[in-house]
Amino acid sequence: MATVETLYLPHYPSYPIYISLFKNVSNAKFLRQQLLEANAAFEYAFLDGTMILSPRHLHAATFRALNDSVYNRLKSRNIHSELVFSLSPNNNIADAYRRFGIQDSTTSLLAIKIPLSNPEITAESVSKHLGDAVEGESVAFGEEALKGVTDVKALRKGVILGMMALKGT
Amino acid sequence: MSTAPPTIGATTPLPLPSPFTHSPLTLLTQGAEALVFRTTLLNAATPVALKYRPPKPYRHPLLDKRLTRARLLAEARVLVKCAREGVQVPEVVAVGVEEGWVALGWVEGGTVRGVLDGYTPSHPPSHPPGEQKDGQREEVLMGLMGRVGRAVGRMHEVGVCHGDLTTSNLMVRRKEGEKAQEHFETGGGHHTAGLEGLDGEIVLIDFGLATQSIQDEDRAVDLYVLERAFAATHPVAEPLFREVLRAYGESYKGAKVVLRRLEDVRMRGRKRSMLG
Amino acid sequence: MIALGLEGSANKLGVGIISHPSPSKPPLILANLRHTYNSPPGEGFLPKDTAKHHRAWVVRLVKQAIRQAGVKVEDISCICYTKGPGMGAPLQSVAIAARTLALLWGKELIGVNHCIGHIEMGRAITHAPNPIVLYVSGGNTQVIAYSHRRYRIFGEALDLAVGNCLDRFARTLMIPNNPAPGYNIEQLAKKGKHLIDLPYAVKGMDASFSGILAAADILAAQISEDLDDAKRLKAEDGELVTKADLCFSLQETVFAMLVEITERAMAHVGSREVLIVGGVGCNERLQEMMALMAKDRGGSVFATDERFCIDNGIMIAHAGLLAYETGIKMPLENSTCTQRYRTDEVFVAWRDQDTASS
Repeated sequence: MATVETLYLPHYPSYPIYISLFKNVSNAKFLRQQLLEANAAFEYAFLDGTMILSPRHLHAATFRALNDSVYNRLKSRNIHSELVFSLSPNNNIADAYRRFGIQDSTTSLLAIKIPLSNPEITAESVSKHLGDAVEGESVAFGEEALKGVTDVKALRKGVILGMMALKGT
Repeated sequence: MSTAPPTIGATTPLPLPSPFTHSPLTLLTQGAEALVFRTTLLNAATPVALKYRPPKPYRHPLLDKRLTRARLLAEARVLVKCAREGVQVPEVVAVGVEEGWVALGWVEGGTVRGVLDGYTPSHPPSHPPGEQKDGQREEVLMGLMGRVGRAVGRMHEVGVCHGDLTTSNLMVRRKEGEKAQEHFETGGGHHTAGLEGLDGEIVLIDFGLATQSIQDEDRAVDLYVLERAFAATHPVAEPLFREVLRAYGESYKGAKVVLRRLEDVRMRGRKRSMLG
Repeated sequence: MIALGLEGSANKLGVGIISHPSPSKPPLILANLRHTYNSPPGEGFLPKDTAKHHRAWVVRLVKQAIRQAGVKVEDISCICYTKGPGMGAPLQSVAIAARTLALLWGKELIGVNHCIGHIEMGRAITHAPNPIVLYVSGGNTQVIAYSHRRYRIFGEALDLAVGNCLDRFARTLMIPNNPAPGYNIEQLAKKGKHLIDLPYAVKGMDASFSGILAAADILAAQISEDLDDAKRLKAEDGELVTKADLCFSLQETVFAMLVEITERAMAHVGSREVLIVGGVGCNERLQEMMALMAKDRGGSVFATDERFCIDNGIMIAHAGLLAYETGIKMPLENSTCTQRYRTDEVFVAWRDQDTASS
């Protein structure tokens, strides 16, 4: 079982968002492979934890992906790929995956699941599935946990949200 | 939108676009173009200022959409540019380009207008016990004015002109953990302004009329508008504004030329600056 | 008291006679006559020809007005005339007429600011106590609010007046100038249905119209019937763009700008009433748009019809008499006229210091 944080964005109370953080992950290559193969059991946004500045950073990308999903204007395949895309300041989806998505070498992993209206997916089920699938140390997601993880130099605080918000406009 | 105008401070559901339709938001200000609400967006603990430009019923729908979109993006882009260059402005948290809203990071603190409102009336000359404290206050206030001048100078230096630079659009950021001061509340006639909270960083807000410009004329008009706002806020604010200009003049290369241009603008009695 | 007013700052010659029975009673309009000089389609009115027109008509109009009003020359307290702003030659011809009458009859002279005339007449007719005023005509575009004995200009056109923009576009399309180019544009615009993109130039409370006119002129050249259909401008639905579409688009764009700067001034001073004066103020689409905006702000719009919106002598008589009643006198040697005369130069002695009525 993995530690799962359930996030509700204030204006979207009926859309739970499940977030798990893992350190010392050893099977990133396998996980990434599941995404490439579009394995339906692995519908997550798998992010490289070093590229996430703060919970706020992740929440802003999540908001944009969810809002665009509700408005039916996703630019990528589904809400999970949209989340990865939302993080990027440019309009190139492949580039977004290279920069913010899981790499074979990833050791700090953020897994996000947005079930939208699927009632079968719960914090429980996500916890169980991730606990089985990810080989690594599950830690509680939060400001503190990210502090040691983020590569601050790669990101610029205070600007990043605005650049994300305005991308593609 | 044909109902009576909403009341400021009221927490009422308004005809806002999704996802704000069903959330009661607190209305802070209603300008000619935009409504500003306090709400949350990314988590329940962190407030944001939601600036919404409602459709104007008098405008042709196509024209309305085109204008709202262009203005919203211009404002957001100026803010991101400022942030990137290190000018203190609210962070752009999210935008709803088609829906006409932008969510901005909340700035905790009060306005320079609030500080000025609470300034001189409490210190009549016939009040000797306060004298020493007054001297100290003066110094802190002058420090604040210097920071205002440098903040405006920095904004101009990076190529942005504000377009509506009033004392209400200059905020003093409250330091973390510091208590809200009474004099920070705008609009009220508070006479007990203390020294606390005057040493915060200056944050520029409301870039709804901002332009990306390096024209001396635009910069000088910014200063003129601010000068008028100072004068309108308090009759004896003049020495304070002198300090703003002094600090501005030293803040970047080219500032001195703008100060000379300001004198021309004053001479012309710039008709379009009826600020108050 | 009774005053005779002479207006001739542009192509209308107006003669009006007004009576102010007592401060508590509304003014009485005894006569309000007008004669307009119309130039042929495609041409504007030139100062020289307009002045000639005014000289030719002023005596006839004054005689007719006195007859219609049923007043004797002895009943008249003062002769009011437009001091400015306006076109030099027409202003001079009417000032000369006013001086002549004053000397002939031994009456006081009062020079009136044309814009103030519009504002005061609009207030008198609509009973709007303290509105934001949008003054829109062929020569002026101003957003005005009263404060401390001045009509202060909050916003204005930085280049062309909006009426001039419309008039000149009417010339481009060769729309007749009779009864008025703006009126003919308004009628044509009612048949337009496609909104064509035009520049939108508002800066704070100011607006600019020259770029829009230039863009509209370029579009007009692209709809010429001399061109092959393939080369003519088409709307998004593929239909050919018509003159009516262009008139419609021009009106929608420039009026949106006017309403926007007015709304900004209202928000700024916290007012909920708007008064529209000046020739363009007759336009019903502008009145409708302004009403929608005012309603949105919980307020209302006041407008007058063409008798008072379009330049007239009665407004000059009314504003002049208001000044005369406060004891203002104008010696003959000061009875000049001037092409440039800002609304905020006039000291409004007849109103209260603050924003209250009368």
